[in-house]
Amino acid sequence: MTGGNGVCPSCGAPVRAGDSFCESCGTELAPPMVSSAPPGYQAECPVCSVDPEAPPAVITAEGYCGSCGRKVPTGRDHSELDLGLLAGMTDRGVRHTRNEDAMALATADAPGGPVAIAVVCDGVSTSPQPDDASLAAAQASVRVLLTSARRGDDPAEASLAAVRAAHQALTGMGSPDGAPSATYISAVIGSDAVTVCWLGDSRAYWLSAGPGATRLTTDDSLAEELVARGVLSEAEAMASPQAHVITRWLGADLSEPGPHVTRFEPPGPGVVLVCSDGLWNYRPEAAGLAALALPAALTDPLGAAAELVKFALDAGGIDNITVVLAPFPLAPFPAEPPHPKTVPVRRVAPLPRRTPQ
Amino acid sequence: MTESGFTVDVDQNQYLPEGGREVSAIVTVTSAADAAGLAGPGPAGPVSASEGPDGSAEIIIIDCSGSMEYPHTKIAEARAATAAAVDVVRDGVLFSVIAGTNLAWPVFPADGSMARADASSRAAARQAVAGLRAGGGTAIGQWLELARQTFARYPAKLRHAILLTDGKNQHESPEQLAAAVRQCEGLFSCDCRGVGTDWEVKELRTISAALLGSVDIVPDPSGLAADFAAMMQSAMGKQVADVALRVWTPQHATVKFVKQVAPAVEDLTGRRVLSGPQSGDYPTGAWGPGESRDYHVGVEVTPAGVGQEMLAARVSLVAQSPSGADVLGQGLVRAIWTDDEALSTKINPRVAHYTGQAELAAAIQDGLEARKQGDEETATGKLGRAVALAHQSGNEDTAKLLAKVVDVVDVEAGTVRLKKQVEDADEMALDTRSTKTVRARK
Repeated sequence: MTGGNGVCPSCGAPVRAGDSFCESCGTELAPPMVSSAPPGYQAECPVCSVDPEAPPAVITAEGYCGSCGRKVPTGRDHSELDLGLLAGMTDRGVRHTRNEDAMALATADAPGGPVAIAVVCDGVSTSPQPDDASLAAAQASVRVLLTSARRGDDPAEASLAAVRAAHQALTGMGSPDGAPSATYISAVIGSDAVTVCWLGDSRAYWLSAGPGATRLTTDDSLAEELVARGVLSEAEAMASPQAHVITRWLGADLSEPGPHVTRFEPPGPGVVLVCSDGLWNYRPEAAGLAALALPAALTDPLGAAAELVKFALDAGGIDNITVVLAPFPLAPFPAEPPHPKTVPVRRVAPLPRRTPQ
Repeated sequence: MTESGFTVDVDQNQYLPEGGREVSAIVTVTSAADAAGLAGPGPAGPVSASEGPDGSAEIIIIDCSGSMEYPHTKIAEARAATAAAVDVVRDGVLFSVIAGTNLAWPVFPADGSMARADASSRAAARQAVAGLRAGGGTAIGQWLELARQTFARYPAKLRHAILLTDGKNQHESPEQLAAAVRQCEGLFSCDCRGVGTDWEVKELRTISAALLGSVDIVPDPSGLAADFAAMMQSAMGKQVADVALRVWTPQHATVKFVKQVAPAVEDLTGRRVLSGPQSGDYPTGAWGPGESRDYHVGVEVTPAGVGQEMLAARVSLVAQSPSGADVLGQGLVRAIWTDDEALSTKINPRVAHYTGQAELAAAIQDGLEARKQGDEETATGKLGRAVALAHQSGNEDTAKLLAKVVDVVDVEAGTVRLKKQVEDADEMALDTRSTKTVRARK
């Protein structure tokens, strides 16, 4: 077991390093963190709350400002999670009205050493409730991955079980209107290998200095299939309107999700990047991403994630952006993981006032 | 189906181009198919006819002016039709029959009260109606005023009248009629029928629109009995009264229009009654089980930036009850600004369809008016446009009616020639039924 001793954040009782639960009150000591709105999050209108002339606004049950009608942030517009061993950031981007990406991170002090877990899901915009779908899938799967890691289960088998759990979560959300759907990618980072499992076009990369940087996943997309068959070059495929048509996904409309699993043994120090297409759209090659993220990501994963998100926003921010970074080899398991930080409100300029006729 | 028995569905293209301000949506309101599901929202809710014997009240208003004798079958068929309608009045419902000339007087009950329907009151009503004779003028405002006074004496929640006339409103001024109609608005609904061809379509349409009823022509008096029985049957099916569309809009937004577009076009824009600082109510009248109506709502909003979303309108269905307004269902009209032209230029097919149906009704009415004024060029243009619109939208009933007034040269292009000889009844049927629309399904 690694790490020092600490106290339970809930009851203050001393806890031993490596404990998953407080022996005194039962609180989960290193719970998975998801990019949902934090408890007690109070939505406020980004326009009326900063306009001294605006009347006090009530937020409707559907999440609109009761005064100006503006959709208010849900608390998922921008989230930052820092678990020490890995960190992630997700952002609504510039063009979308909500963040349909979700991420879930966890760390475990497993029998074989520390384990870092990342799940990223990108809701399929053409399906109903894509934001709910991505969050439900991430939440359900990270729980399975964390429990398996604590037991020391085989990461590949755990990854498949996690996909099944995510699939089941979405199956329950299906309605006659359609099937809520999302892409899915999980990375389980142990002391000697990274296990990646995915469906769709969210990606994992191995970033290292020099020529070793590489993409760990192959998209389930029409573009990738056309490239693989030699019909299009990568540049042509990216420019094609079908580049983002995915051929596999997670959704209630599928009986068998059929995920890919791959295992990668890092040859040396580097960083595992898990991201949605909101990032890689602007820099698809591993070497290019490595140049952006390194060396900061080796020591400050959250800071480097922020830089990558900023890069995508500056490049246009056409889609939701999610970036998770885990430096390898993993740092020692911390006694008290830091709490997640959520920055829910992005303030925008007040609406222009119309002079009464 | 929601607990209240109503569903509200919104169909729209929610995407606007940068700087776009016009939001347009089709709102479909549907009531539960089974009567049990439509009982209203509990004991504090609107009184439904099934809840108490005093739920519904019906008045039949019969024109007894002198012209009803020419031909003699008119007054005879009107008597038979009234008897047929009385036969359909359900037990326990309050009803009365009023006769109208340049005056109005109660026929049954003769003392101006309302009778509770049962076998004997229906028989007595039939007997009283059989004694009706024609003679005198036409002052429809007087008739409506007597109906209003009669209704007002009873606490019924569903008040409905049937009004039959064969002539123009000659014995009072248009202002007197308009004032009488205003007094009746919101108190009762009224279906209007014109028998023969000597009455004024516009006059009856004004009354039926204000009183949330239908208007139609019965060219041959022999068709009256079946029509009256059907109208009364439909009235007996109504269960929830005083239902309004409540439209909430954000600050600095304006409701441009609210129109019923199916089953017929009725512009409700001017009927707005403020119900809150950012909301107005538009009357829809009474609802029976299994009814479905479409409304076209247009809102102008202050544009937000690309990528922003706004609630452009919340459309709720509300029923007035002793405890206030009960919300029976609601739908959201959204606006999302995008720089993706493929999204913002997409025309919602149902919005397009109903925009066309409203234009069709206006083209017919304008075309017939121009024809009446002797402006053949305008009449030909407008009615030609109507022919093309009716054809494109698959409104076959209206296309058939149009074909009795114009000779169609090119249906696609809307090229027509005005017929030299047109039956009055055909022209009036086209006019009265011009607002009937074809339903656009999702």
